[in-house]
This record gives sequence, C-alpha cells and structure tokens, in this order.
Amino acid sequence: MKRPSRKIALLIGAAIVFASAASVVAAAEPTGAVIMQAVYDRPQGKDMSGMLTMTLVDAKGKERVRGIKQITGSFDTMDKKLMVFQSPADVRGTAFMNWSYAEQGKGDDQWIYLPALKRVKRISSEGRGDNFMGSDFTYDDLGDRQPAEDVHTLTGTETVDGEACWVVESVPKDPKDLYSKTITWISKEKTVGLKRDYYDKRGTLLKTLRISSIESISGVWVITKTEMRNEQKKTSTRMEFSEVKIDSGLVDGDFTERAMTKGL
Amino acid sequence: MKNMVMAFPKLRLAKSFALAASTVLLVLGAVQARAQEGAQEGATLNGYARTKVGALVEDGAYFLAENTLDLRLSYSAGDAAFYANPVLYEREGELALPELREVYIDLGGEFFDLRMGKQQIIWGKGDGVFITDIVSPKNLSRFLVPDFEELRLAVTGARLDLYADAHSLELVWLPWFTPTISPASGSLWALSLAFPISPTIQAAVLPVMELESGEYFAKYSYMGSSFDLSLMGGWFWNDTPAFTVISQVLTPGVGLTSLTVEPEYYRTLAAGYAVSGTLGPLVLRSEGAWYGAKRFQGNPMAFADGYAEKDAIQYLAGADFSVGGYNFGLQFIQDIILDYDDDLTEDAIANTATFVVAKTYLNETLTVEIFSYLGLDDGDALVKPKVTWDASDSLELFAGAYLFLGDEGDFGQYDDNDGVYVGAKLSF
Repeated sequence: MKRPSRKIALLIGAAIVFASAASVVAAAEPTGAVIMQAVYDRPQGKDMSGMLTMTLVDAKGKERVRGIKQITGSFDTMDKKLMVFQSPADVRGTAFMNWSYAEQGKGDDQWIYLPALKRVKRISSEGRGDNFMGSDFTYDDLGDRQPAEDVHTLTGTETVDGEACWVVESVPKDPKDLYSKTITWISKEKTVGLKRDYYDKRGTLLKTLRISSIESISGVWVITKTEMRNEQKKTSTRMEFSEVKIDSGLVDGDFTERAMTKGL
Repeated sequence: MKNMVMAFPKLRLAKSFALAASTVLLVLGAVQARAQEGAQEGATLNGYARTKVGALVEDGAYFLAENTLDLRLSYSAGDAAFYANPVLYEREGELALPELREVYIDLGGEFFDLRMGKQQIIWGKGDGVFITDIVSPKNLSRFLVPDFEELRLAVTGARLDLYADAHSLELVWLPWFTPTISPASGSLWALSLAFPISPTIQAAVLPVMELESGEYFAKYSYMGSSFDLSLMGGWFWNDTPAFTVISQVLTPGVGLTSLTVEPEYYRTLAAGYAVSGTLGPLVLRSEGAWYGAKRFQGNPMAFADGYAEKDAIQYLAGADFSVGGYNFGLQFIQDIILDYDDDLTEDAIANTATFVVAKTYLNETLTVEIFSYLGLDDGDALVKPKVTWDASDSLELFAGAYLFLGDEGDFGQYDDNDGVYVGAKLSF
C-alpha cells in the first residue's frame, strides 16, 4: 500500500481533530428534540403506586386538600392509570381510570366511578385542556406528551437549584393547542424537567411549574413534590407523592371496573 | 291537587330531628375517632347531614321539608367486609324510624366477590333511563323528581361476581321480593289509572316467596379499549303490578258502572344489552331489552283481566360530548309493544329523549346542570336545573327546580307541580 504523502496526512489529521471537536460540541449541546425525546424515554419503571396529596390554593390563599391513591402501569403499547379519591368525604371512593396508547392519534379511554350512582361510566377524553379535578393542572399537563407534537429548540443552559440544565423552548405544531409555547429547564444529570413555564395564546406567561423534590426510588428518578402556579389567576396547586413503590408487580388485571368500584 | 300539599307555617328544624341528629353526631364523633384509630383494621365511618326545602311555584306551598342523616359504616378484615348504611329522616316535621338503606357482608377472592344482604344493584349505561337496570326497584313516590341516586331501592339477596381479565360474570339471586314504591294516592304525584271509571282497588297481591319463586339475574360484562359491553338476562317479578279486574258491572244502556281491580305482581323474562364506546370526541352508548309476556293495561270491556300480555322492546341510543367546557348528553329512547292491540291503553310506540348540559366554574366548586326528559309524542317535558356550590370541602349548598311542560303525557300530567328547592349538605 502506498503511504500517504505528508501533506495528505496533515489534512487527514486536521479533519480528524475537527471532527472530534465537532462531536464534543454535539455531545455537549444536543438538539432540543433529542433532549425532549430523552426526557420522554427516561426509565420510569413498569409500574408505580403511591399516595397523591393535592392541595388547591385559591387567590385568597384558601386551601382545599384531596387525597388520592394512584397506580400506574405500562403494558405493551398502552399505559394505564387508576386514581381513587380517599378524601375529602364528599368525593371519597370516586375513581378515575385512564388508558393511553402509544399509537399516534389514538385518543385515551377514560372512565369515572361515582359511588353515589354505583356505576362506572365511560367518559370523553377529548378535554385534554380541561383542568384536572379543579386543579391548575390540565389533563394534558399530567400526561406524557409525545415529543413529536412540538417543535423543540435548545435556547441555552442555566443552573436551577444548583443543577446544570438545558433550556428548551417547545412550540406546538397544532395551532389549536392550549399553549403558544412552553419553556422547560431540564436537569442534565437526571434528564428530568425541573421547571416549566407555560405561555397562553397571546404569548403571555400563564402558568409556572416548579419541582421541589425528586427522589431516586428503585433506581428511577421520581418527582415527589411539585407546584403549578397560575400567574394570571393567582391560584396554585401543590402535588406531593408519598408511599411510592416502583415495579411492585402490578398487572393488567389491576386496572379494571372491579378495581374502580372496590377501591385500592 | 294543591289542597293535598302539606302547608308548613314556617321552616324550622323540628326539635325531634335536631335532638336526634345532635345525639347521633355526638356519638358519631366518638365512633369516628375509634374508627380512625382502627383504620389499620379497615374501619371507616362517613356520611352526611342534609336539609332540603321545596315549594311549589304556583302558590308557594311547601311540599318538601326534609332533613336527612346518612351514615356509612364499613369494616374490613382481610378478604371480608361489612357495610351498613343507616339513614335517619325527618319529613314534614315528623321523625321517621331509622331505615337501613343497605347492609351487607362482602367476601372476596382473587377471582370472585360475593355480597350477601340488602344491597343496591345498578345495571345499564343510560342516564336517567332504566332499560336494563331491572334488579333494584325504584322509589317513585315523588315521580322522577329526586336525584337518581335516591330513586333506587335496595334488594335483599346474594350477588356473585366472577372475574377473568377484562371479562366478568355477575349472578344475582333474590329470595325476597321488593316492589317499586309508587306515588301514594292523593299525593301530588298520584297516578291516574287508565280505566273508563274510577275503580275500587283491593290490596296488592305480593308474590309468595319460596325458594323456587325467587328472582334470578345474570350479566356478562367486558371492559376494553374502545368499547364496553354488557349482556344481561333475568327471570323476575315485575317491580310494578298489573291491575287485574276482579269484578265489573255493566249496566245496559249505561255501560261500565262498577269496577274492582287488584294490583298483582307477575313474573317477567327479560334479556338485553348495553354498550358504550368512544368515537373521536364522542362517547356513544346504546342499551336495549326484550321483555316477555309483559302485562299492559287495556279496556276491561275488551280484556276480561283488564290487561293483555305482550312482548315488548325498549332501547336507547345516545352520545356524550364536550364543547367549550360544556358537557352535553343526548339520548333517544323508544318503547315498542309487539303484536299491538288497539284496545291497549299505551301507544304501540312511545318516543322519549333526554338532554343534559353541565358546566363547572370556579375551579369546579360551582356546578350548573340541566337535565331534561322530553316526551316526543305528547310534546311534554320535565326540566331539572340544579346549581351546586362547594362552599368548602365538607359543605355543599344547592338549589334547583323541576319544571313540567305540556298538558298531558308522562310529564305534562304534572304540569301543576312545578317546584323549586334549596338545601345544604354537610359531609363528614
């Protein structure tokens, strides 16, 4: 084999150095889409159970507290969630179940059980923008939004609570979406969003989401304390998860009409 | 009809109820504390106290003054549980004897649940319509005016549920018969019997309950992605009686001059289905049933017994959807008498619709809902608007009305009974 000339060798060497440098830059600054996909694909365990305490705070500071037992599970191409209200007394025993699908465009299946009526009723899942149980979270806020639904742009890096974060701006592809854009601060170490700002249709800040506690449970990063504040209505909702268990062996049969009527 | 309305000089919480309620609430505090201490053993006690006052629109006469103390006590240990729902009523100033709305024992296993005792069993997928909801009878003493949860009566018997993944089979055996409560004669809601002359009504003949004369029901259910399905059947005593002609006197040249009838409960065979599913933004549902040898009242001159036995079909088709934060529900219901005879009192086909719209405000603390029955053949309707405000997590204030439109038909016959009500409910 003919050895390359010195000049060619220099050129190849320069190219290798340039390529290496470029890959270092790419590794340090992935695209917004790559980051959001990584957040979406982050290991979350096959199932999770726990107690959710939801505190609704109105503009005058008056608090209402809801206690909810919750289980979630991933089965093939669908995720299932069952929530049973433990308190307050007037909604005790009310259950809500949601099945969501990986298939693009396939709507969720949802049911509600009202103890007073003793009947499980299938309900419409189209109200993704509706508030969840009177809180400042919409159903969409609480769901796993598909990254492909937005155009993501990495706008910079910042430090939040001492953690280095990527800052990603996400603009919905659907102009009818509830928000005009969201900005998310994502921990580089945990690949978890630490805070998110939601902007309304006019581009004005509507809500801010803050994560105040993340715990590693069974090797999975779990958000255990979070607060959503509506900056326009001056209301807020705190969510706190306790008694969290990951991969406790929940099966498909735990998400049934029987479970809704009997409670967890 | 107005003279039948009980007049109340002023609204007050009767001393008897106040005393009884305060005593029960005091005991309740202690029991609830014990229940909470024993939470590990699965003891719970909750319920509500409610006051409700209603008046007729036309003359302002009070026709409803009701205080209720509703307790739900449950205790579970392992796979067994006990539940009791005693209720204390004070109506129109009179304290009624406490009643046990439900009391039963549950036994459960991995693949089954067995419930024995007095219990409500609710079937069907329709709202405000009871096509396949044939197990628990209804309390129609105030027609369809009360909330739906208060219309249903408990039955006494055993219910076995068997489970296999998304499939379940429910078997019900009722050795004791519980009839539907009809409006009392002379009350605001008294039904006018469709006989040519006013009959003499004898005491009702209740079924003789023996082991072989019990009621039997079965329901298969499937809950799955995109749709839910139930198939049901029953061999049971009809909860409302047919009026059998005991004697009649025909006077030449005059016609029927005397008629004596006897309310008689009879057996019916029924089979039906209920299905609901999601189609885009719509939740669609349908429910239907065939009833065998159902008795329909008719001209006693044509039917010696005063009724004819006919098969009948009832079904509904409906949809729920949301627009702009408003939740809508529409249902169309049709009743068909097969092999129809012109001498029957009811029409061969009856068409009804229901319409509901609901919206919440103030972070779901304020709910406004209007539920309506629409009689499509007689142009009549029952409209039930209701506003509920959760003043706190435990205190609910509500106000509503029931407005009857039209002059005839199932709803128009009560055109003079338009009413309004207000109330408060304290949950604990």
